Amino acid sequence: MPSLEVQIGSLRLKNPVMAAAGTFGFGQEYREFFDISALGAICAKTVTLRARTGNPPPRLWETPCGLLNSIGLENPGIETFLKEELPKMRKLGTVIVASIWGEEPGDYGALAAAVDKADVEAIELNVSCPNVPGKGFVGAQAGFTADVVRSARAATTKPLWVKLAPEGEVLAAALAAQEAGAQALCIANTFRAMAIDISTGRPVFANVLAGLSGPAIKPLALRWVYELFPRVEVPLIASGGITTWQDAVEFIMAGARAVQVGTGNFVDPLCTLTMVEGLKKFLEERNLECWEVIRGCAHRR
Amino acid sequence: MPELKVVRAPVAENREVAPGVFLLRLEGRFVAEPGQFFMLRAWERDPLLARPMSVFDLSPQALAFLYAVRGRGTALLANLRLGDQVKLWGPLGQGWKRVPGRIALVGGGMGLAPLLWTAKQFGSPLDVYLGFRHRPWMVEVFRSLADHVHVRSEVGAPGCTQGLVTEAFSPRGYAACYACGPKPLLLELHRMCQEAEVPLYVSLEERMACGVGACLGCTVWTRSGPKRVCSDGPVFPAAEVFFDALP
Repeated sequence: MPSLEVQIGSLRLKNPVMAAAGTFGFGQEYREFFDISALGAICAKTVTLRARTGNPPPRLWETPCGLLNSIGLENPGIETFLKEELPKMRKLGTVIVASIWGEEPGDYGALAAAVDKADVEAIELNVSCPNVPGKGFVGAQAGFTADVVRSARAATTKPLWVKLAPEGEVLAAALAAQEAGAQALCIANTFRAMAIDISTGRPVFANVLAGLSGPAIKPLALRWVYELFPRVEVPLIASGGITTWQDAVEFIMAGARAVQVGTGNFVDPLCTLTMVEGLKKFLEERNLECWEVIRGCAHRR
Repeated sequence: MPELKVVRAPVAENREVAPGVFLLRLEGRFVAEPGQFFMLRAWERDPLLARPMSVFDLSPQALAFLYAVRGRGTALLANLRLGDQVKLWGPLGQGWKRVPGRIALVGGGMGLAPLLWTAKQFGSPLDVYLGFRHRPWMVEVFRSLADHVHVRSEVGAPGCTQGLVTEAFSPRGYAACYACGPKPLLLELHRMCQEAEVPLYVSLEERMACGVGACLGCTVWTRSGPKRVCSDGPVFPAAEVFFDALP
């Protein structure tokens, strides 16, 4: 029997398929469709110190093989998450990763301190949301990322993952996160992009820029996993347009330890479940004992 | 325990019932409450997303939807032939609940889509008001279900009174009104119903990604903060969602 298990730092997952933060709510919606315990992990919707109402509509725009979103981190806040959502999430039977976002590095420390006492297996530091107005998000920044990880590291002993933006100082931010104590790097969040409504001649979104996801960005995300794999020591978690098991295999061959599925959940509520089944069959048919055999194989010359 | 299924259903009928408007009937056993919707797709990865559609009609053998061809997704749907497979999941969202007493269902154009199954489930005493831009369509199926069916055509059509559906309608005497259609229509109905102190329930339309309440993409601002059209709605009390609409 091949093993689908993967090791992410100190954490063992039953398989490499996770739901990406912000696309799976707090797990309750998809529980109606399938037994969530089939997944390796679920990343909860990103939470902030105080509740946020998010961006004004419209928040969505479909593009060829892609989706632009401008949700703007609508969330009930850390306190409500821990008190009301997490207990329900715990019943889903899989690893729970909390995702947190702050304006300043100190916010991440405060959020991590609150999550430290809670029953979650890891914390993902979201330093890559392109949709929060006012801050002038410019992509990955090494200095800011290091400060955020240090702040969180000082506040918790839980594994810290860092979700990076696919633009800006990507490599430098990845190395800085690793140096500051991140156990894994997640690459990538959505790409900054935009759309114009030709009936009005105006940008579709109030913030002008929005985040592009979906199969349209898969080759772009793949490139980042491939480029980071030989340069970092911590596990890479891939994210970006992964909607089939074949996509997941491609990312593992580029060097990913696990994958996060986001927009794929919207394409088909059973996307992750089908992916797990497909990956299992792949290992069996190829007679592979574990993922190590093919991880990063695309780098061999 | 999981309760919602993602299924494939064969097309039993896909017919143009008015210019650019199609009736799609899918074979299979489904359930839905009035005002609920399904997510549909009949293509692989492009368009990326499924399309939300209100239940138009339901029988023990089939589920029917009405759609207008507006973009690439609905154009692909219009090309479906008998026996082609459609992938769908649902029923989704909060539909409308019947208030005891005489009620009115008001639809503007495509807004009549969720009203037929509602009329069938709610039953008499019930009146239906339908407004169209041009020639009316799909009116006859309401006749046997409603005590009165009032029809208006904005530009006029043979055998149909010219005017707006709101000119044919008064909320007075109704226990509640239920409406779906373009936003200006819903706002005018809201004004009329507020004045008459009759509750109005509206079914909203919004771009959706997940359709199940996870992505927070279809948010509408309500009196009690942001709500998801897909899972907190699509039906809302008008006073909740149009709280800042009246002077």
